[in-house]
Amino acid sequence: MYHVPSTYQGVTAGMAVLVLLSEFAMLRAPLLRSQVRLYAFQSLVVSGLAAFVAASKHIDELYVLAGLSLMLKVILVPGLVLRLLRDADTDLAGSSVIGTASAILIAIGVSAFGFFAIGSLHVSSVSLPTSALAIACAVVLVAFVLIILRTDVVSQAIGFFSLENGVSVASLVVASGLPLIVDVAFLFDLLVAVVVFGVIMRVHHMRNETLSTTELDRLRG
Amino acid sequence: MGLIVLSPSGIQSLQVLTILLGAPLVSGVTSHLEGRFQGRRGPRILQPYYDIAKLFRKETLVTDESSWVFLTGPIVAFACYLTVPMLIPVLTTFPLPLGYTGDILGGGFILALAGFVVALAGTESGAPYAQLGGSRAMTFGALIEPTILFVIFAVALITRTDLPYALAATVRSSASQMVRPSHILAAAAFFLVVLVDTGRIPVETHSGTLEFGMIDEARTLEHSGPALALLKWGATMKQLILYTILINVFVAPWGLAATKNLGAVGLAMVALLAKAMLLGLLFAVIDNLFSKLRLFKITEFIASAFLLAVLGVLVFYAGGG
Repeated sequence: MYHVPSTYQGVTAGMAVLVLLSEFAMLRAPLLRSQVRLYAFQSLVVSGLAAFVAASKHIDELYVLAGLSLMLKVILVPGLVLRLLRDADTDLAGSSVIGTASAILIAIGVSAFGFFAIGSLHVSSVSLPTSALAIACAVVLVAFVLIILRTDVVSQAIGFFSLENGVSVASLVVASGLPLIVDVAFLFDLLVAVVVFGVIMRVHHMRNETLSTTELDRLRG
Repeated sequence: MGLIVLSPSGIQSLQVLTILLGAPLVSGVTSHLEGRFQGRRGPRILQPYYDIAKLFRKETLVTDESSWVFLTGPIVAFACYLTVPMLIPVLTTFPLPLGYTGDILGGGFILALAGFVVALAGTESGAPYAQLGGSRAMTFGALIEPTILFVIFAVALITRTDLPYALAATVRSSASQMVRPSHILAAAAFFLVVLVDTGRIPVETHSGTLEFGMIDEARTLEHSGPALALLKWGATMKQLILYTILINVFVAPWGLAATKNLGAVGLAMVALLAKAMLLGLLFAVIDNLFSKLRLFKITEFIASAFLLAVLGVLVFYAGGG
């Protein structure tokens, strides 16, 4: 346990930490637009991580995955959500009952749980250090915290999308040689979510002129 | 000149002297650069020395309500700042005789003691703004404390000791030590701690005159004459001590003297001051990029620093850091 990680392990774990930190930054961001940009940045780090693993471990399929997620998650999805946001003239995210500092403390607690939970599993991987799996788990859990604490559709959508980023990192750890088709299926799952959330944002804003989820029950047919 | 070999205690006193005499210079360069960035000509680089010299010639005024605490506070704080440079790697890669008398925790305690007596002296004056400064400084000091502890935990986990010399040696030992996430996270957290502890933007406007936003600055409002000179000098020394810990322990422990030669030690002095000025440049840039946070938003800033430090420890435990 007390070995010094190699440079490769250090860099990959560092990139995974960057993914987790941008998840925390989303929790802190008060503007919807900055949240979407943070998601784009997070996806960029994820595809960078995939490309880095592909280059160092010579797994060529991962290049395709990195390229696909670069196009979809860095350019297409954030662009789409930003466009939807431009039409809806809401800037601020729905603030939660809890202050930002407390929200961050809760998220720290939750991600510590994730770290210890994965730590007791003793998973080892050839491509990435185990800590990356623990970090991926923490990303998923913090995304849940974001979805639970924020009360607007955009934050919840971004929380869901970034949850998928956490799953991507986890899949890089557990099975970086995963057949490409499975990974692509993941991405199409994401696209379905984007369409669903896009429709919700559009319809909810058109009918009720708000993006808040507290008014969501007014959407009855 | 390069062949003159210094005694260890000689180098030790040179460490203290470097901090003592170099601190106003680093602070002067920083505020000069800051002025330049803001389109002003900025104060002279040597201005802090002139200020201190001027204050030493002035008389000391004491309010009726204050006691000996008010007058001894600045002296005790100054003594604390003179003690810390003996414990940290200022000039040498090898530990000096007194270097092992205190670990990072010990150094932290001495710095905290200095902060405490200054706050106490401010409170003793009976003036509302000085009291407000003292109470705020203690409040935010208490909030930043968990972060400092977790940084120390991360350091202790990485080196299995908590001696500043050991961490500096570990960082120097290989490149994989530099990129390990727990080290980077601990260093980043410590960087934010330095921002808070030296009272810079985004926590405090260090050169402002608006009392409502003041934290550290307000504590010294009632002091005058030599006492104020000691406080100002002490503040610059505290800044250089924290810069030195950040540079020589966490980020860039290179350029330190590996031998006891006079030439090597002299070079290390110049290198330290140059590195500290570069860091000052970074702080001046940050000063111009960000605005001051509202007082109640500072907790969010401290929460982010805490997050970085905790993640550093967690990533280490997860086995990748």
